[in-house]
Amino acid sequence: MDLDFDHIVNLIASWVPAWVFIAVIVHLVVLGTVAYLILLERKVASWVQDRIGPNRVGFDFGLLPFLRGMNGFGQPLADGLKFIFKEDYRARGVDKILFTLAPGLMIVVIIISIAVIPWGGVMQTTRKFDVTRDVRRGVDPRDAGLAAVPIGASPVSPNGAVPPPPAEGMAGGLGRANAELARAQAVRDTIPVETRNEVTDEGGITRTYATVTYRYAFQIADLNIGVLFILAALSLAVYGVVIGGWASNNKYSFLGGLRATVNMISYEIPMGLCVLCIVVMFGTLDLGEIVNKQAHYWVGFIPAWNVFTQPLAFLMFLVCIHAEANRAPFDLAEAEQELVGGYHTEYSSMRFALFFLGEYAGMITTSAVCVALFFGGWHLPWVEWAWPALKGNVAGAGPEVTTSLVAAIARGLIFFLKTLIIIFVFMWVRWSLPRFRFDQLMMLAWRALIPISLALLLMNALVLYFARGLLQPGLLVDGRLALVFVVANVILLAATMIVSTLLPAPPDMNRKIAIPGSRFLNTPLPARA
Amino acid sequence: MKDSDVIVLDEPRMSLGDQFYFPQVLIGLGTTFKHMLRVLGGTDRVIQYPEEKREDLPVEQGGMLEQTYKGVHRLNKDEEGRVKCVACFMCSTACPARCIHIEAAESPWPDREKYPAKFDIDELRCIYCGMCEEACPVDAIELTHIYDIVGLTRQEMIFDKSKLLKIFDQTVKNEPM
Repeated sequence: MDLDFDHIVNLIASWVPAWVFIAVIVHLVVLGTVAYLILLERKVASWVQDRIGPNRVGFDFGLLPFLRGMNGFGQPLADGLKFIFKEDYRARGVDKILFTLAPGLMIVVIIISIAVIPWGGVMQTTRKFDVTRDVRRGVDPRDAGLAAVPIGASPVSPNGAVPPPPAEGMAGGLGRANAELARAQAVRDTIPVETRNEVTDEGGITRTYATVTYRYAFQIADLNIGVLFILAALSLAVYGVVIGGWASNNKYSFLGGLRATVNMISYEIPMGLCVLCIVVMFGTLDLGEIVNKQAHYWVGFIPAWNVFTQPLAFLMFLVCIHAEANRAPFDLAEAEQELVGGYHTEYSSMRFALFFLGEYAGMITTSAVCVALFFGGWHLPWVEWAWPALKGNVAGAGPEVTTSLVAAIARGLIFFLKTLIIIFVFMWVRWSLPRFRFDQLMMLAWRALIPISLALLLMNALVLYFARGLLQPGLLVDGRLALVFVVANVILLAATMIVSTLLPAPPDMNRKIAIPGSRFLNTPLPARA
Repeated sequence: MKDSDVIVLDEPRMSLGDQFYFPQVLIGLGTTFKHMLRVLGGTDRVIQYPEEKREDLPVEQGGMLEQTYKGVHRLNKDEEGRVKCVACFMCSTACPARCIHIEAAESPWPDREKYPAKFDIDELRCIYCGMCEEACPVDAIELTHIYDIVGLTRQEMIFDKSKLLKIFDQTVKNEPM
């Protein structure tokens, strides 16, 4: 039996889909990053406050002096050990099942929503499969070649002559299935088969090879409704907070949970509307497709990222993901000054750590979505002129298809780096801005973000309707249309500013109110200037 | 309190930029970013305590002026190496924290009447105000620059005469009487 490396790779690939490896790597990276994000958070906090931050814990364990210090890089390990060895305290009277379930629920929901992030586009591989054995059994060499393709990968014809099935909007069901079938048949017919006579010790042997080209996406789940999935999964994350707050049987925790719910309900709406602006513009709910449509240039050198066409949507989306992740200045759910600790008051040890990890994993997810929607995902401008593999190098295919594994991995790193930059903004904002009062929080959502985002969505629809002649084939946005969008955004911003000055003043809040029996009863309330 | 005593303050009026909140956010972010750059650029930084100490730095760079710092006490010695204190109880009378306990005894030397047989200072009670130093008529008690004293028990932190005299020997070079 010839157990060469190729054979082992084939064997593994035929049983374990590529997304399993990607999932394992992504989760390891994300969870490792979460640990280091906590260190980064403390570092950013201390930089803002003119300090240096944790820089004592290295990996020396008291034994290896050359690994001491290391700018605090051992801190996450020390924190983790501390969390594991702390007492896992559970107060009397808590709901045992929900109390245990809540932290897990939070982190699970957040991690599954990472599944649809398009980390590295699509990888195209051409492999030659030895199908001699199947041919001897009477199987058609082309079918045998298709059968050897790793599961989870989709075969294409080698020269890209067979186009993908036309995306006919909502046309699903039988028509869609028939189109897929026809496409598969067409791909099958183009597979080159090669027959060779090889001379071995035992005499001549005829071997048959089928060369199959296939693609697989560098993401865990290639969902065509990725945006919807993300919105749905991230809204579920608040259940961890609410259930944790309720199960603690503590009024402060409960209040924290309630505040998180209100936060989520208010800020989901403008967030969804901002995402819809992008969806309306590109006509797709597939995150990978949204990234692909940003991977080109306007005027030859301006990257076609949505942050330039939709700056207002980006700003509002940024505000909303701050609220969504329960981060400052929207961290009312864990306002230490008012609620002891917020929803995690009663939690300790690893359960508390899971809430903590959930918060940071949520930051990673929302930042990754932000990068995919507004910053071109894996698209690194200008570098691809020197390294074509980074931007698709397969003729006839979209910019996402590359044949270089290194390029695909580099795209993942680029995506991740952009995500980290957004996360840095999260931290920067947290240590710069004070927390909102509750009425200010509600006012920002209902009086500012929701009307503006509604107007923005309407504006996008109008621009796309009246400037539809500028839309390039494949719903690409070219430089002229981008300029129209920018102008429309500026007009909308100016209109908002004018309208907001005409609006009636908000009701008097936080003012002294005469209460019967109060010694201030006779004081007339001052009229507002 | 009468109603007329109540002063009603109005919120300051916000400009258009303030009402939009966002320009102010950007200004705030700019301020914090400036601080970040200062720390990362190394122009503004905290002293890394066990490795760097304030007494090692020049005063202009945030160093400590050892002559004026109010740290642990010492009992000064005269030229013959005897304790300078005459057990007049001025310091323990002046002490607002009542942390000085003196037991006077007849002096073995002809030039003074009394000397402290025991001289205990509870360094945990002491508030390091320096009143004892001010009160002393013979400049026998002084505060030194030493601030990092540790002990495993409270008893250990009650410094007796021999310990206070030892601190004099430690610090007399940098801080002459």
